[in-house]
Amino acid sequence: MSDADREWVDTVRQRLIALGQTSAGERVLIAASALALSVFVGTIIVFVAGLVATCRDPVLTMGGTTLCYDPFFVFDRLFLGALGDPLAGGWSPLNPQFALTLRETTVLVFTGLSVALAFRAGIFNIGTQGQLVVGGLLSALTVLWAAPLLSGGLGAVLLVPLGVTAGAVGGGAYGAIPGALKAYAEANEVITTIMLNFVAVLVTRYLVTGPFGDPNSQANQTPPLPEVGQFPSVVFDPRTDFSLFALLLAFVFVGGLYYLLAYTAFGYDLRTAGIQPTAAEYGGVDAARTIVASLTLSGAIGGVGGAVYVMMILGKFQTGVPSYGFDGITVSILAGNNPLGVVFAAALFGVLKSGSTVVAFATNVPPQLVGVLRGLIILFVAMPEFFRLVGRRLAAGQEETGAAAVGGGADD
Amino acid sequence: MPVSRRTLLGSLGAATATGLAGCIGGGGGSDAAARVGMVYATGGLGDGSFNDQAQTGIVRAEEDLSIAYDESQPESTSDFGTLQQQYAQSSDPDYDLVCCIGFLQADALTENASQYSDQQFMIVDSVVDASNVGSYVFAEHEGSFLVGLMAGRLTTTSFSAGAGSTAGDSTNVGFVGGVESDLIKKFEAGFTAGVKYASDDVDVQTAYVGGFNKPAAGQEAAISMYDSGADIVYHAAGNTGTGVFQAAQEAGRFAIGVDRDQSVTKSSYSDVILASMVKRVDNAVYSSVEDVVNDEFQGGSVTTLGLEQNGVEAVFGQDLGGDVPQEVKDEMSTARDDIIAGEISVPTDPNQVS
Repeated sequence: MSDADREWVDTVRQRLIALGQTSAGERVLIAASALALSVFVGTIIVFVAGLVATCRDPVLTMGGTTLCYDPFFVFDRLFLGALGDPLAGGWSPLNPQFALTLRETTVLVFTGLSVALAFRAGIFNIGTQGQLVVGGLLSALTVLWAAPLLSGGLGAVLLVPLGVTAGAVGGGAYGAIPGALKAYAEANEVITTIMLNFVAVLVTRYLVTGPFGDPNSQANQTPPLPEVGQFPSVVFDPRTDFSLFALLLAFVFVGGLYYLLAYTAFGYDLRTAGIQPTAAEYGGVDAARTIVASLTLSGAIGGVGGAVYVMMILGKFQTGVPSYGFDGITVSILAGNNPLGVVFAAALFGVLKSGSTVVAFATNVPPQLVGVLRGLIILFVAMPEFFRLVGRRLAAGQEETGAAAVGGGADD
Repeated sequence: MPVSRRTLLGSLGAATATGLAGCIGGGGGSDAAARVGMVYATGGLGDGSFNDQAQTGIVRAEEDLSIAYDESQPESTSDFGTLQQQYAQSSDPDYDLVCCIGFLQADALTENASQYSDQQFMIVDSVVDASNVGSYVFAEHEGSFLVGLMAGRLTTTSFSAGAGSTAGDSTNVGFVGGVESDLIKKFEAGFTAGVKYASDDVDVQTAYVGGFNKPAAGQEAAISMYDSGADIVYHAAGNTGTGVFQAAQEAGRFAIGVDRDQSVTKSSYSDVILASMVKRVDNAVYSSVEDVVNDEFQGGSVTTLGLEQNGVEAVFGQDLGGDVPQEVKDEMSTARDDIIAGEISVPTDPNQVS
């Protein structure tokens, strides 16, 4: 390596470390500029795509060239549409589109928290999707089994908590498997959790096509849950499949996890194991136990996400569960693995998800192009956060070698 | 749930949707004879099969009946309800008909049909029992019978065309299904019945690969069928069937396509595709739109589109069709007439094939 190269590497390293030290205010500013930049790049892409595409009724015709999509209108629909047009008169927060945004946000808060918790323990849990699927199926089956036993008011009070608990148990047990494999057999959790996702999807598909399937339906699904076995809609229109109770439950989990990580001995063990496993073990942390416990807890939160999906959105378990678990990974990175940040990251995802349906409805932009825009926005907003985490790692490394004394190494 | 709150919030929802649609404006024009919303199945447009076929129908309706339409492609099954609602709620433009393509939409539609009782819906491939929903199902077994008859005839003779040939001494054909469900079993039952109608001595090997988008698994299943003597394999497995075509090319045997004329949509395999059992989803869409335009839409009715209504048909491959012997074609068209006349009854359950 030449001197110039070394100097260049050093500059990059110092920049990253500096990025790792940014304050909360600066980070919000960075995220906002990244968002603006992604919209700008997206606008160009939509414009070019609109020139190339052929369509029935172009928005603009200039001589021989036609513009099929209006980029400004696309972004207007993507963001304002997702909120139900707050700038138009007569806006109410109860509008169905905003309910859809909150509905998606709610499930993503759970999956985001699930991934974030494992991340903080230094474990890359890619298996949240599988844990969500298993939790979702178990909660559906539990509610279906318990519904005839609990009649009247008892069912209305007990069925939903029972389903949530079943989801947590299912997801937790399914998370414990890769935890135990990592702790006692040194199996890499990235490999095992990815593979267990397939196992979850295929086993649940077998179960709902065969033994637990709905004989009255061509689809691969369980029989529908009774009305009392679903999250009751309060305030919002019941047709929107959104329940404030589920969102409140998500906030309870956010608060609980924040408290657990920041103020409990277990949370301290978990964080130290995540930052420096050998030092943690030297300090008296039972590494194996911490790994199993954190993956179990992570899986349980994912499983509750599955229970919410089943009991609030679908009203049954059906194969082809959307990729909430995988989106949870991005939500977590976007949030810097901070439970409080997960709420905002999940909200951004919820807006994008709900906004896409508005774009699909209001414009003739193909869903693939909307997917590209969503990906761009997420990439732009997540990357500074990703590099910030890298910078923190670098700073922590320098501290160890005593090269420079900058800030603490703990992720917040 | 109390009805009063629902109505209140419902009108509130409609009001916001109005505001939303107001910004959209334009597109299509208000002089259209009717306005139709299309909610496709999850495979999306460009699948060369089911959804594209549905789109063909609405495009034809736009040209012939001067209607206007908008379309939505859901990302996952949980989007069906939302998209159906978006069309049902919209009052500017007001949609006269919402077309729901694919049986997976049935549950969401059952719920929405009762919530939006003055919106007309139609569903393809499933039956929703509601007074504002027209259901369109196909007699897949009837069309499958005809291609089965053809396969049964050709496997017992020495026949070669394009890149394939049959072994005269082999009396063996195959069926590859996507997911083992009542719907796909109708294809199997009709095909097997057609083969047995041609000759009782011909064996039918069947396999279900467990998915509609698994070309590799389809190829594996078909290879093992060709290896154990099958000359012709019929698939009812969506994109999984692409693997069946590949296997046919490798083995120098024949395949039969499904849903659309696959010798056209998958033209690189046209040298092994003898025929396709075409499901005219476009006709279902078109006739429902036509009924709406003529004010004859029958909510609550179930329309079965069989051979008689041209809902299903056996279409010969664009390259190999000419090589199929005329006597086989004649026999197929006689069988078609007999099925329509009720003289041949085609079973819908493989267990009932005698």
